[in-house]
Amino acid sequence: MAPSEQLRPDLWTTVNERYPGSMIRKSDAVALATLGVPLERARLCFVSSAGVQPIGTLPFDVAHPLGDFSYRTVPSNAVPSDLEIHQLKYPSAGATQDLNVIFPIERLQELVAAGRLGSLTPQFFSFIGYNMDPVRFERDFAERLAAAVHAQEPDVALLAPA
Amino acid sequence: MSLNHLMQASAAGDDAALIRYVRLHLGDGNEAGGRAEIDKAWIVALKALLPDPPTDYAFVRKLVAERDLATLAHLFFYVHFALVAASETWIHDGTL
Repeated sequence: MAPSEQLRPDLWTTVNERYPGSMIRKSDAVALATLGVPLERARLCFVSSAGVQPIGTLPFDVAHPLGDFSYRTVPSNAVPSDLEIHQLKYPSAGATQDLNVIFPIERLQELVAAGRLGSLTPQFFSFIGYNMDPVRFERDFAERLAAAVHAQEPDVALLAPA
Repeated sequence: MSLNHLMQASAAGDDAALIRYVRLHLGDGNEAGGRAEIDKAWIVALKALLPDPPTDYAFVRKLVAERDLATLAHLFFYVHFALVAASETWIHDGTL
């Protein structure tokens, strides 16, 4: 589908009008942690809201009107042909051609191979961003996801929205 | 529209707000598009039955009789997307 054919021009400038209450304003932001080791020795965990998942795992629920509050683990040694995208809410034609534009798993593997990055956690994480219950998202889903990421013992987490 | 707003609309009997949300969801943020998608799904459903193919009516009866309303509602949303996917005029960017 060509961009001009998209049904949702100006969506992002009017999202709060169309989906009132779905945008979260945070006044109590937590300070970013300081990286404790150089990137060349750091173990990185990648977290994405792009809806990327290993082929054969239960597809994200893109039909439910309130969204999907689950995540999938993605082995960090996976190749794009092992993975697929299940989401409806962002233009993904480019990502279908080259997954790295939205889920740069090969770029991260290359950085490790080149010695620019220490290592990758065994598992990465992915979910879909269409979640219409901000409270549940923050207090339940985000807590579960953070615990899962922490269990991978990363030095640094790279978060990428879709 | 967040869950909190939907719950408030439901409690207030504001069905217009609820159906607007459904259209926004099915139209990826475009209410008119969502309305057209609903029509499209029903047209696909009707056309599928016009040749009068054999269908598993017993399964349908059993499913509706045995499953809870929430699961059926979830199925209703999923079947909508499955029908519009079968229409070959898929407006969404991704896949089910």
